[in-house]
Amino acid sequence: MNLSKILDDRIICVDMLADNKDEAITILSEKLKDACYIDDVESFKKDIYYRESLGVTGIGDYVAIPHGKSDSVKRIGIAIGKLKHEIEWETLDDKGVKIVFLFAVSNNNEFAENHLMLLAEIASKLGSEEAIDKLLKAKSAGDIKNVFIEKE
Amino acid sequence: MKIVGAAACAAGIAHTYIAKAKLVTAAENAGHEIHIETQGTIGIRDNLTQKDIEDADIVVIVADIKISGMDRFKGKKTVEVPTDLVIKSPKNFIKKLESIIK
Repeated sequence: MNLSKILDDRIICVDMLADNKDEAITILSEKLKDACYIDDVESFKKDIYYRESLGVTGIGDYVAIPHGKSDSVKRIGIAIGKLKHEIEWETLDDKGVKIVFLFAVSNNNEFAENHLMLLAEIASKLGSEEAIDKLLKAKSAGDIKNVFIEKE
Repeated sequence: MKIVGAAACAAGIAHTYIAKAKLVTAAENAGHEIHIETQGTIGIRDNLTQKDIEDADIVVIVADIKISGMDRFKGKKTVEVPTDLVIKSPKNFIKKLESIIK
C-alpha cells in the first residue's frame, strides 16, 4: 500500500518549537485544522487528552504517539512534529520526546478503512529501531516521508 | 519455538501495531516462528487459523483490553501482557517466553 497517500507535507513539520507536551499537541492540532483534517482544535485536543489519561503514549526512543477518536476529525491523517528541543512527556523509558506523531481518527470510520490501514502501517513502522533512528536524524519533511515510503 | 497470539489496545489505532512489529522482530531475530493477529479499529487482521494455534508452543495475548476469541486458546500455554511491556522490552519478553517453554 502506498503510504505517501497519508503523509501530507502540510501537516509535517521539522524544527518545531514547543516547550512542553501541551504546546506540541496544540501546534500539531492547529496544523490539522489549517489543512482541514479537523474542524475544532479544542474538542479534538479534549479527545486526545482522554486517550492520554488511559495510558502512556511516549513509546520510548524519543517518540510519542498521542492519538484518539474524535468527532472533530473530518479526514483521517497524521501530523508529525520533529522538535527542535527535547520535551518532557510520559514515556516508557523515562526519556523525553523529540518527535511527535499525532494521529487524527474519527468516530465514524465506515468509509475510512483504507486510511486506517495506512495508519496501522505507519504505527508498525514505528516499531522498527532502524526507522526510529532515521526519523531522529531527519532534517526535512522529505526525510521523514522517506522513512515510511522507502521500502515499499 | 512457535509463537502465536493476538494484540489489541484501548483505541485500536497505534499501540497494537507497534507492539506487534516489535514482538515479531524480536522473535524472528531470536530464531522463532511467530504469527500475531491484530484486533483494532480496522477489525481483525492477520487472523490465526485453528492450525496455527494447534501447532503453537505458546500463545501470547498482548492486550490492554479484552480480546475476542479467547476460547480458541483453551488448553494452550498462554501468557498475557499489556502492550506497554512488549513495546518497552520486546527482547526480554521473548526471553521470558523461552524460559517458560524450556
